Amino acid sequence: MFSNFFYICKAKGLNITLSEWLTLQEALDKGLCESSLTQFYYLARMILVKSETDFDKFDMAFEEAFKGIASENEISKNMMKWLDKSELIDMVDEEERYRMNEQDGIQFIDKDEVEAKFKERLRDQDSEHNGGSFWIGSMGKTAFGNMGGFMGGIRVGGKTGYQSAFQVIGARKYRDFRDDRMLDNRQFQLAFRKLRQFSTKLDIPKTELDIDGTIDKTCNNGGCLQIVMDKPRKNAVKLLLLMDSGGTMIPFSTLLNELFQAVHKSNHYKDVKTYYFHNCIYSKLYKTPECENGDWIDTDWMFRNLGSDYKVIVVGDAAMAPEELYSTSGNYRGPNGGLSGWEWLQLLKRHYKKVVWLNPKMAPGHAPWREAETAIKGLFPMYKLTVDGLNQAMIKLMLNK
Amino acid sequence: MKGQEFSSTQDYVASEQLMASVNVAIALKKPLLIKGEPGTGKTMLAEAVARSLGKRLIIWNIKSTTKAQDGLYMYDTIQRLYDGQFGEEGVDDIAHYIKLGKLGEAFEAEEQVVLLIDEIDKADLEFPNDLLWELDQMEFYIHETKRTVKAKQRPIVIITSNAEKELPDAFLRRCIFHYIDFPDEQLMEEIVRTHYPDVEDHLLKNAMEVFYNIRSLRDIRKKPSTSELIDWINALQIGGISADQIRAKLPFIGVVVKKDEDLETVRQKLD
Repeated sequence: MFSNFFYICKAKGLNITLSEWLTLQEALDKGLCESSLTQFYYLARMILVKSETDFDKFDMAFEEAFKGIASENEISKNMMKWLDKSELIDMVDEEERYRMNEQDGIQFIDKDEVEAKFKERLRDQDSEHNGGSFWIGSMGKTAFGNMGGFMGGIRVGGKTGYQSAFQVIGARKYRDFRDDRMLDNRQFQLAFRKLRQFSTKLDIPKTELDIDGTIDKTCNNGGCLQIVMDKPRKNAVKLLLLMDSGGTMIPFSTLLNELFQAVHKSNHYKDVKTYYFHNCIYSKLYKTPECENGDWIDTDWMFRNLGSDYKVIVVGDAAMAPEELYSTSGNYRGPNGGLSGWEWLQLLKRHYKKVVWLNPKMAPGHAPWREAETAIKGLFPMYKLTVDGLNQAMIKLMLNK
Repeated sequence: MKGQEFSSTQDYVASEQLMASVNVAIALKKPLLIKGEPGTGKTMLAEAVARSLGKRLIIWNIKSTTKAQDGLYMYDTIQRLYDGQFGEEGVDDIAHYIKLGKLGEAFEAEEQVVLLIDEIDKADLEFPNDLLWELDQMEFYIHETKRTVKAKQRPIVIITSNAEKELPDAFLRRCIFHYIDFPDEQLMEEIVRTHYPDVEDHLLKNAMEVFYNIRSLRDIRKKPSTSELIDWINALQIGGISADQIRAKLPFIGVVVKKDEDLETVRQKLD
C-alpha cells in the first residue's frame, strides 16, 4: 500500500528502510490508524521517522504523496477542507471554542479570513528566517489553534519560502572533503596523536583487573588471593571540528581534505563531531560540506548537547566582510538567529574551554587590514594550517592553561 | 489491543499523540523511544504507563559507565575466587554467582512488566547496538551456565533519550519514535493543575508568565523545565507569596533557575 509514499520519502532524503516500511504495513494491517488520515500521519511518522529534525522532511513527503500538489506559498483547497474538519470541531464545545479564540485574539470567522491570516503567517515566516516548515493546523500550536494542543489534529503546511528569497545566486561549488582520495597525511595524523588524555588520569571507576598488581599483592599476602583493579586506559578526548566550506575556502579544499581524513583516521578519540559553516558561525551549523539549507543543526543545540569538555578546532579563513561578522543580518545565505556572527563566536568561546582556530591563509604577523581575522585572533588562538601550526594548535588544546 | 490501552492518569497528562504512540508500540511489540527536552516528563511516562495498565515497572538507569552486559547478567568472578580460597559451599555451582540485570529481571518476570531504559544516550556510543538482539528476540544466553533466558511475557519497553548523542541507525530502525514537545501554556496549565488542583488562578497565571519569559531569554544556559515550574509553584504556595509579588520580586527564583550566570541574566532582563 502507498508504495509511492515510500519512494517520495526516500527522495526527500529520509533514510527509511524496508523493515520500517513493513512495520508500518503491519500497523495498518492491525488497524492502528483507524481509517483516519490524521492517525495515519502520526502512525507513519512515529514508525518511519526517528529524529525530530527529520519531521520537516517527512511533512513535505507526506504532503506530496497525499495531496499531489507542490507546496509553494499557496494554500490548496485541500488544506481548507482539512482545517474545516467538522468532526473534530464538533468535539469542542461551541462556547469553549469561542472563548479560546478570543484568548488567542483571533475571531473565528470564515474561510477567507482564515486563509488571509494563513498567508500573512507564511509571509511573516519568510522574514523571520525560521528554519523548518511550520504547520498550520488545528493543534493549538499556531495562531490557528482552534482546537487546543491536546485534541490532536491535522497539520497542513508548506515549505518555508526563505530558501528562494535568500538563496545565493550563482552556481554552487562546494566540494565534499570526504572524497576518499588517498593522500599521504601521515604528518597530520601524527599531530593529532598529540591529542590524547588517558582515562587513567581521570576520576572514573576501576573496572579492569590489574594482573601484575594482583600477583604482587597476592604474593605479599602469603599466597592468599588479593585482587587489584585499575582504571581502563582509553583516550578520553572528545573533539569537535567546525569547518568553513565553500566560497573563499575552495582553493584549500585539498588541504582540508587531508585534515579531515587525518582526524577520521585517528580513530582513538572518544568522540568526534564535525559540522560545517559558511563564512562565519551563525545560528545553524550544517551537517555536510555542501551547506544545504535544512540539512543543519541549531548552534544552540550543539551548545546544549556537546559539553564544554569537547575540544574545538575551527577551520576557516576568517575572511568575513565586517558586516558579515558584526551585523545581526550578516548571514547572507541562512538565518542569523538574532545575533551577529561575532556574538555567536563569543558564545562559542564562552561555552567551550578549549578552542583553536586553524587558518589556511593566515597573514604572517600583524595584519590590521584583515579586520575580521585580526578580531578573531583576539578571541581564539589562531594558527596557520600547516603541519607545524597544527602541532602547535594541538599542544594548545592539551595544555591546561 | 483493546482493554490494554494507555490513557492519561490522574497525575500524568499525556497528549493524544503520545498516547497513540504508546499504544502502537504495545500493539506492534516494539520498543518506544521517547525523546524531548529535559523535564518534559519522559521518565514519568513509564511510571504512568505502568500504573495505567496495572503492571510492574522495572527501571534500568543508564550511566556513562553502563555496559549492555550489565543489563543482562553479571558473573561475579571475584566473589567466586575469594570464596574458592576458603572452600565455601556452593563454589562449584556457577549459577550461584550469576546475577541477572534489569533486562534479565524483566525477561524472567512471570507477568508482563514495563521496562524503562532511562537515558540511553548517557552510555557509550555502541551501547544501543549491543542490545539489538536482546530487544528483538527478547532472549539472551548465559555462557557460564549455558542457559538461555527468554522473556516469559514480552515486556513493554520504553526508552528515553535526551539526545546527547546520536543513536545508531540500526537501533532506531527497530523503535517507535515519539518526540515530546515542550508543552504550550494551555497544556502546561493542565499539567500544573493535575499536581495542584487548588492552585490560585492569579498565582498560576503570573508564575507561568514569568516562567515562559525566562524560557524565551536568549542567554539562558539551562532553560527551566516543567518539573521546575511545578516545584516553583509549590514553593510559592507554601511560602504564601501573593500573586502580585511574583513578577516584581521573583521569590524563590532559585528553584527555577539553577545556574549563577542565569540568575544574573534573569534579574537583569526581567527587572
